[in-house]
Formats: sequence, C-alpha cells, structure tokens
Amino acid sequence: MADLTIACVDGDPAARSETREALVDDHDVVSCGSVSEAADLVRTEDIDCVVTEYSLPDGSGLDLTRLLRDRSPDTPVVLFTDVSPDRIDSARYQDVVVEYLPKDMPEARKLLGRLVENVVAQRTQVAYPLPPEEDDRLAALAQYDRPGMEAAETFDRLTTLARAHFGVDVAFVGLVDAHEERFLACAGEDWETLDREDTMCTHTILEDDMMVVEDVNADPRFADNDRLAELDIAAYAGIPLRTPRGATIGAFCLTNGEPRSFTEAELTDLQLFADEAMEQFELRRRLEESEEGDGPAAESGPGQGAADGGERE
Amino acid sequence: MSVQRSGYSFERLPIAEVESGTNLLVTGPALGGIRTLLLRMLLRGNDREGALFITADTGGSTTLEDYAAAGGDYDPTRIGVVDCTEDGTGDPDRNIHAVGSPNDLTGVGIEFSSVYEALHANGADRVRTGVYTLSPFVVYGSVKPVYRFLHTLTGRIRTADGLGVCAIDPNTVETETLSSLAQAFDGRVELRAADGETALRMQGLPDQPDSWQTVEF
Repeated sequence: MADLTIACVDGDPAARSETREALVDDHDVVSCGSVSEAADLVRTEDIDCVVTEYSLPDGSGLDLTRLLRDRSPDTPVVLFTDVSPDRIDSARYQDVVVEYLPKDMPEARKLLGRLVENVVAQRTQVAYPLPPEEDDRLAALAQYDRPGMEAAETFDRLTTLARAHFGVDVAFVGLVDAHEERFLACAGEDWETLDREDTMCTHTILEDDMMVVEDVNADPRFADNDRLAELDIAAYAGIPLRTPRGATIGAFCLTNGEPRSFTEAELTDLQLFADEAMEQFELRRRLEESEEGDGPAAESGPGQGAADGGERE
Repeated sequence: MSVQRSGYSFERLPIAEVESGTNLLVTGPALGGIRTLLLRMLLRGNDREGALFITADTGGSTTLEDYAAAGGDYDPTRIGVVDCTEDGTGDPDRNIHAVGSPNDLTGVGIEFSSVYEALHANGADRVRTGVYTLSPFVVYGSVKPVYRFLHTLTGRIRTADGLGVCAIDPNTVETETLSSLAQAFDGRVELRAADGETALRMQGLPDQPDSWQTVEF
C-alpha cells in the first residue's frame, strides 16, 4: 500500500525528520510539533494515519488522539515514542485505544512503515464491527452511489410513504460508506450524515435479513450511545439493501422516539419498501452503465485506442 | 518473496492445525473448562514460539502457575503477561505487566503491543496470544472501544503470523453483543460440558472436524 497521507507529530525536530524520512519514500508525510498544530492539520488535510510522540510541548499523544476520536473517529493513531508503557498515563484516556511502537526497538522505523500500512488497510481502530469483505462492499457501494445517479426524489417519496404507513417518527434510506452513513432521504428529520461508529445501520449491514431493536436503551450495543439519544432514536427496524451480487450497501430503516415493537406484517411490508429502494438503485446503476457504454461507443472512430478496441466486438 | 511456514498445532486437543495469523474466539461456561482449554491452546509448539497472556479474570502470577500446571514453562524471554485485573501488580523479572483496570483499554492495548514486540525482539519468531477473558472488558465499559481494541489486537496478530485465542463465557454478555464481537474473529471454538463429558466444536474454519469432539482435561 502506497501513497497514504501520514501526519507525523513530534516536538523534537531531529526525531521528527528521522521519522519522516522513514515514511516519505512510500507516502505523503505532513509533519508538525504539537497537539494544536496537529489538530489544525487534521482539519485541513485528509489524513489516513497519525504517527505521534507521546510527550508533546502542549499535551500528550493521547490528548491528540482524544481530539481525533471526536472529529474523525476512524483515523488510526500510532504512538511512536521513547516513553515506556508504565510511564504513559492511559487511565484518563481509557477509551481512545491506539497502536504503540517503541522508538528504541531494533529497526523501529522500518517496523513503523509496515505497522502504519497494516492499521490503515485493516481499519484496525474503528469502533464498530466490520463486514468480512469490507473492501468489496465499498467497491460495490461506489457503483450505486455516483453524483449522476441522484434518486433523492424517488427515495423522498418512498420514505414519506413508509413513515405514514408504519406511523413512526422517521423513515430513511441510508448508505453506509467507509466512515459515515449518508442519508439519501429522511422523512420526519433532516439527517444528512452520521459517524459510522454511532449508527445502528453499521450493525444492520452485518445481518442476513434485518435488525430490529424495540428498545435501544435495553440493547448493550447501543444503550450508551449518546448520539442516538440526541437524535431521539428509541426504537429501530432496518432492512439491509443488498445488491444482486450480494453486497450490502446500506439500509431502509424506521426509527421512533419511543420504544415500540414491530409486527410480522409490518416487517414484511418494510422488506417490500427495501426491495423497492434496492430496485431503484439497481435500475439507476444499469442506466448509468448503459449511458457510459454508449458514450465512448458513440464517440468511437478512428481515434479509438487499440487497447479499448480489444474488449469490444 | 514469501516463506511457506506451517500453522499452529494443538497437542492433546481435537483441533486440527490452523493457519498462522488466525484469531479464534473460545466460548463456553467459565467453570466448564474454557480456562484449561485456553492454557492448552497456548502451549508453545517449539522454543521459537512465544506466549502472551492478557488476563482480566485472574492475576498474572496465578496465570503463570496455571500455565505451568497445564504443561507450560516459565521462560520470561518467551512468555509475558499483561495483567488487567483491578489489583494486579507488575513483576518485570517474570515479564508481568500490570495495567490496573480492565476499563483501561488504551493501557491494555499499549502494554500488549509493547510485550508482543519485546517477545519478537528477544528472538521469538511468532507468538500465541491468549485473552482470559473478554467478559470484564465488555461488562464494565462501553462496547465501542472494545471493538476498537479487538480490531487492534487481532490485526496485529494477523499481520505478525501469530495466533490469537480469546475466551468468553456467553452467559456474561447479551447474545447480540457476543455475535457482533465474534465478527472480529476467523473462527470459533465452542466448549460444552454435559453428562460428565466435556466436548468442543469448531466453527468457521476450513479443514476442522465439524461435530462435537470429546476433550480430556
């Protein structure tokens, strides 16, 4: 894996440049020397991984991690430090969870490059369960989620109908992408995005058929999720949106401000709504595909490259 | 350039060899033998292997004593313990490192990484890691950091060609929580004790017996 953007944070200029040297052949490295500078970097740059010293002039690497967990919770952090574990005050930061690599290990900087690549590729610091073939799932999602495929009005109609039909507070169509859920249509609320670790749909996409949570506060997976309380989600029913090839790209969902149960008949109907939504996605994807196919074909002529021509009749 | 290496084998257990980099979830009642099973699964196959325990239910010293009783050895250059119990104390001579609380998942992760790398630096070419048990991490804290911790742990083990064995008593957590945590693992070892007989069953891994197999402890 090459071409990651790595933020390297170290208050000691010599150590910082040494760490930078170890990574810069394969990756883009942006570096700085303090928590506050790093916070600015994370705001302005799209950072794949943060490598930080523990002791920084204006705080610690764990202060920086806590800040990151608020703003960009999936971004992995590697503590790359001379400080031994017994001198790291982790008790005040017990939820942030980081990778740790001592600077004084033999070949530490070589190990660092590999560790960074692995934590990014394997998404090892996300705070939610991952589907087994997440890369394939995201690739499939990209096919259904393109700017030209705006289906907002269709999904607005579907979710409005669903909300009225089930008598719930909210009905929505959400796509679960790498780091957040995006709501394509949301009847009853105006949610746009939510960090993936706070979503219930990231659990729904692991299910074969559906996920129903009649009382969110009684489910240990969600009971202490403050974001759900803020959004007034006390009950949830979601059906995974599965492509014809079996990838799950999102969910068709209902939520309610009070706990409630869902009857078999309701869940059967919810499945129909989800089927309809998925069919809309699939039709748009095919339309887009055929338009794309038509495009180059219509323009094809003497200038058409031989490499392309090989795949056509 | 890839070196073909064999997987991990388990003596005196009805479990076929598993590939290196495998993470297994061991489930069963706490009093039904999962502790002995985990200790046995961590017995080193040869002197180049290391063993690392993350203990949240029993202290570091007790763990090492029980490991010896199960047939293990004491070599601190090859064996380490991260003690996460509330009153755990460290002992550098025996390579025991205390975290102070199972709530401190950041601390547990840092100590684990540190001991894991140190075992490799001391000459272990691969390490068997055992967590006994996951329950205190799940029961006392929020579940979100537990996912983060498990991904970090299993990811490190996977890329280092290690073996990960994490035990949990299913009766200590909700079914939904257990099944979402299970997603971080490649396969599952179920242990049951019924009619005076202890048996295990493998799930999710290729080339394993798929029926209940009697275990002698």
